[in-house]
Amino acid sequence: MRKVYIVVTLAAIFAIVGNHLMSPSTGRAVSPEDFAGACAPCGAPCPSVK
Amino acid sequence: MSTATISAPSVVAPRADYLFVSIAVLATAILVALVLLDGQPASAALVLGGFGLGVAFLKAEFSYAASWRRFLTRGEAGGLIGGLIVIAIAALAVVPVASLWPGYGGAIAPLGPSLIIGAFVFGVGMQLGNGCGSGTLYTVGGGSGRMLITLAFFIIGSVLGSLSLPSFLALGGVDPVLAANYLGPWGGLAATLASLVVAAVILAFVAKKRGANFMPSRNYIIGGIVIGLLCIGVFFAGGHPWSVTFGYTVWGAKIFQSLGFDFSNAAFWQWPGPKHALEQSVLSDTSSLTDFGMIFGAMAAAAATKRFANTPWPPIGSLLAAAVGGILMGWGARLGFGCNIGAFVGGVASGSLHGWVWFAMALAGSIVGIRLRPLFGMSRE
Repeated sequence: MRKVYIVVTLAAIFAIVGNHLMSPSTGRAVSPEDFAGACAPCGAPCPSVK
Repeated sequence: MSTATISAPSVVAPRADYLFVSIAVLATAILVALVLLDGQPASAALVLGGFGLGVAFLKAEFSYAASWRRFLTRGEAGGLIGGLIVIAIAALAVVPVASLWPGYGGAIAPLGPSLIIGAFVFGVGMQLGNGCGSGTLYTVGGGSGRMLITLAFFIIGSVLGSLSLPSFLALGGVDPVLAANYLGPWGGLAATLASLVVAAVILAFVAKKRGANFMPSRNYIIGGIVIGLLCIGVFFAGGHPWSVTFGYTVWGAKIFQSLGFDFSNAAFWQWPGPKHALEQSVLSDTSSLTDFGMIFGAMAAAAATKRFANTPWPPIGSLLAAAVGGILMGWGARLGFGCNIGAFVGGVASGSLHGWVWFAMALAGSIVGIRLRPLFGMSRE
């Protein structure tokens, strides 16, 4: 299991760093709730809006 | 002349697993450095807050899934009441600050079929997966191979949930009900704390009636206080209460996208928040930052005291339950607007009614999940 952990952990670190370096990163970290019209932690709209 | 060899009783001192301690600390340092290079100290605080949460959860052995199971099978309410301590402490900051300070908000969610179905399914999955959202993170970090399976399927399930959520929301619902909107910030806080006291009294009453203990253990009291304070720290750094599972959804969607899947026609991924998260760096998402920190914090804490991940793989039935539980939790978390942390802890600590609805439905789902455990060769307790 240790070997699996080493492989998975290193793959995850490379994936995180790779994604960060290859994707835009504008301003502070946000949650979907920060966007206008969000009614839930995932950014879903409010029922009344529909 | 005879000689006798007297061997001293062997005392095995806990020995750190320096390889994994180094990996965990180095990985955390890399993430902190990356976000600081972008000029984002709040993001660094979220990673470090997650790291602290990972250590605290692991050291206190704070488990929502197990404490709910102990309550349902034996009537013991100590773990559940310990979980309420976390919420009470977090609420002291979240309810007033979210109402009074611009830039801060609570964890709110609409009430309707999506919440009810999602929370129930999450409860079933939580008992099969053997951990909730936070439990999965810290046990993965703690070296459990079984929970790696749970996490992998949790991620897949949450992507499936993101595709299902819009059609479940179309079934209807009611806008979020927030105590502070009706009673003001301090009245809302008083109502939130009162609801927690009522819940604790009910749980203690049920435990007493069943002849079981209802006092939280010392670990749960200390752990609950530390975790509650860390929740406040994460709230101030991120602007919203701590959440876990949206990060899983983003990771899954990014992985599927890299494999060629197209989310441009999926309604969920066209909402501004999820769309932004999918386009941006994974380190631009607040829940991912605390999730990564929590995994590496638990890894450092676990490896600091013993050889890391040194247990054999569990039986195939248990691995199958991990997969099924993970899928159900992931799907349920998206429909139910989060897990024990984002929906229950964050929701109730924000004075949002959906937190208590989530709790009731997930507890009902847990009853079903516990009954299903023997099918996978797992004990009901």
